[in-house]
Amino acid sequence: MPSERGPPAVELEGVTKRYGGTTAVDDVSLAVEKGEFFTLVGPSGCGKTTTLRLLAGFEAPTEGTVRFGGQDVAGVPPEDRDVGVVFQSYALFPHMTVRENVAYGLNFADPPGGVATERRVADLLDLVDLSGMADRDPDTLSGGQQQRVAMARALAPGPDVLLLDEPMSALDAKLRERLRVQVREIQEELGITTIYVTHDQEEALAVSDRVAVLRAGRPEQVGTPRTVYREPATEFVAEFVGDNNVFTGEVRDVVDGVATVAVGGEQLSIAVADDVAPGDSVTVCVRPERLSLAGEENRLSGPVRSAEFLGGTTRVRVGWGERELLVRTEDPPSGTVCVGFDPCDAHVLPE
Amino acid sequence: MTTAAWESVDASAVETARSLGASPTRAFCDVVAPQIYPAVVLGTVLTFVFTFGTFPIVLALGGFELATVEVFVYRLVRDLEYAEAAALALVELGISLALLYAYLRYEARHTVAAEGIRPLPRRPLRPPSLSVRELAPRVGLALYVVVALAVFVAPIASMVYASLTGPTGPTLAHYEFLLERQVSGASFQVQPWDAVRNSLLFAGAALAVALPMGVVVAVLTTRRYRGRKVLDAVAMAPLAVSGIVVGLGLLRGLVFGVEVGGTRVAVGGALAIVAAHAVAGYPFVVRTVAPGLAGLDRSLVESARALGASRARVLADIELPLVWPAVVAGAAFAVAISIGEFSATVVLASGTSQFTMPIAIERFIGRRLGPATAMGVVLLVVTSASFLVIDHLGGETDAF
Repeated sequence: MPSERGPPAVELEGVTKRYGGTTAVDDVSLAVEKGEFFTLVGPSGCGKTTTLRLLAGFEAPTEGTVRFGGQDVAGVPPEDRDVGVVFQSYALFPHMTVRENVAYGLNFADPPGGVATERRVADLLDLVDLSGMADRDPDTLSGGQQQRVAMARALAPGPDVLLLDEPMSALDAKLRERLRVQVREIQEELGITTIYVTHDQEEALAVSDRVAVLRAGRPEQVGTPRTVYREPATEFVAEFVGDNNVFTGEVRDVVDGVATVAVGGEQLSIAVADDVAPGDSVTVCVRPERLSLAGEENRLSGPVRSAEFLGGTTRVRVGWGERELLVRTEDPPSGTVCVGFDPCDAHVLPE
Repeated sequence: MTTAAWESVDASAVETARSLGASPTRAFCDVVAPQIYPAVVLGTVLTFVFTFGTFPIVLALGGFELATVEVFVYRLVRDLEYAEAAALALVELGISLALLYAYLRYEARHTVAAEGIRPLPRRPLRPPSLSVRELAPRVGLALYVVVALAVFVAPIASMVYASLTGPTGPTLAHYEFLLERQVSGASFQVQPWDAVRNSLLFAGAALAVALPMGVVVAVLTTRRYRGRKVLDAVAMAPLAVSGIVVGLGLLRGLVFGVEVGGTRVAVGGALAIVAAHAVAGYPFVVRTVAPGLAGLDRSLVESARALGASRARVLADIELPLVWPAVVAGAAFAVAISIGEFSATVVLASGTSQFTMPIAIERFIGRRLGPATAMGVVLLVVTSASFLVIDHLGGETDAF
């Protein structure tokens, strides 16, 4: 969370990166506050990794300005940027022990707080729960351990900003969930500004203070995980973050903030903002967990097309005319079902 | 080169082709062959270019009717016809460089990215059964080994044998001759020990130039930027340019001197020889080190940069230690090239005091075959010994 006023820790202003004819990052402006855990999330090719590389100084923007603590860093090489970077491949130096890996950055900077190098290395290995592993070679460690060594190594010189590029993509699902909690705990303990890149929207929601959803090199929405999930700004965000039912219809009338929306021959009651008027075309989304077999309003019926048993819940696809509804329920239904939702559980996308 | 390309073919690609109904032969033609073509072409081009520029062997074996462009150039240089020699050298250079450039264009279009691949399985040499299907490839392999032995090993063996036999059976007379010549030879005659010493000095000096140069060029050729192909071609050019041409160029340019701002700058023959050997050797350093550097995970370098290391520090701390075996191999190549170099040295060496082992051998061949073979064995032993020393030093440095 932003802890003090002043220039943002990291700022992109009108940043564009083109490779030949393709635009990887398209006129992006973002500001990350000091101490914030900020996540760039999006499908592959959305420019999130390129954005991170521009921040680290591995690439130079074609246009625009990158600032660290208010200072333009154009032309500043990675080694002079005070950033720590963790890659998906961890990139541990295979010819060095864990201790040597973590100590490597201390060749070029004094350990923060004036402690001795050995002390700093021990402290960091302690922080990532690898105290006993100092003299091991990286290739004798498991993926999760390697990832933590990479974290410790990146943090050792006390960087201003931590940049994490899909650091968990190579790990299995259970480990990933455990590690992301640990990464978040370490980040909060150190209060370090962190920019995290992931394609996993669930991971993004779970760890971040704020999230930027990227698509084709542009942020579609920037906000807290809660906002991005509950009030998506665009259809892309609505469908990329979590499961969703999205449909477009025409407003027939509005009474006391509740609109009647015609969708595929059905009349749905949807809670809307003041500026929605009859005749408007609106895009509505309803989360699958908000649709229920017991719902009393907006009842829609159709045949069950598939049911995926996910353990805690079942994800059911219900045919609804030409459309399909996603429903989350505890008991897998079959045959023809009737689902409904509360008017207040629908979200209308802004124009 | 072909072997390396073959090893980088993904087994699952072949298995996919097989599961789609392709026979083993068909899978080889459709999947494996396209991936190893560039390597086969490179091997072919290099063989052609080398043969094109082969000088010592033709000089030793061929008469006038077998003379190559190289030999003509050498004759012209000897007869002090420098202008004609230069013209002929340019023709040769043009052909070689054109071939090399054509290859590099081809490679650029055919490079297959190989990441996270599983290599093809190897089959045991001993056949699991005695069927024709199992035996045929192995018989072919055996034939190849016989041919290889005949071409590569037989000459060396026969040389060692010849150096130890005289008209009356086994003898050490040829070696005694070498010793005698060393002790009592006149200054205009070839001194065996001086030749060995010169060879080693030139090799050491050439290595000191070629290794750093080769590593730097390798670093430059493995990064992506505009004009990288041109640099690649320049780095490969010395492979295409024969020693005679390099020697001629250095002779005209450095030894005879160049006018720089009114003063004539000239370099001694020994320095010119070192320069020629270094130029001949560094492409081999580039060719062994560059693939290793290119194969390193880019994020290793980037991690080190983000941790505060400068580009040069990353090279010293991370990249070179990780490709150290390739650096050692490159060094061994550079030394071997230098010790065996004949063409440029024979043009540049200005007297017996600068003769190297190959030149000593050539001088002996004319009149005394026995001592020449003995000198050949000395060359073999010295070269092998330098390999051992390089390997040993390389191994020690690796352990820091």
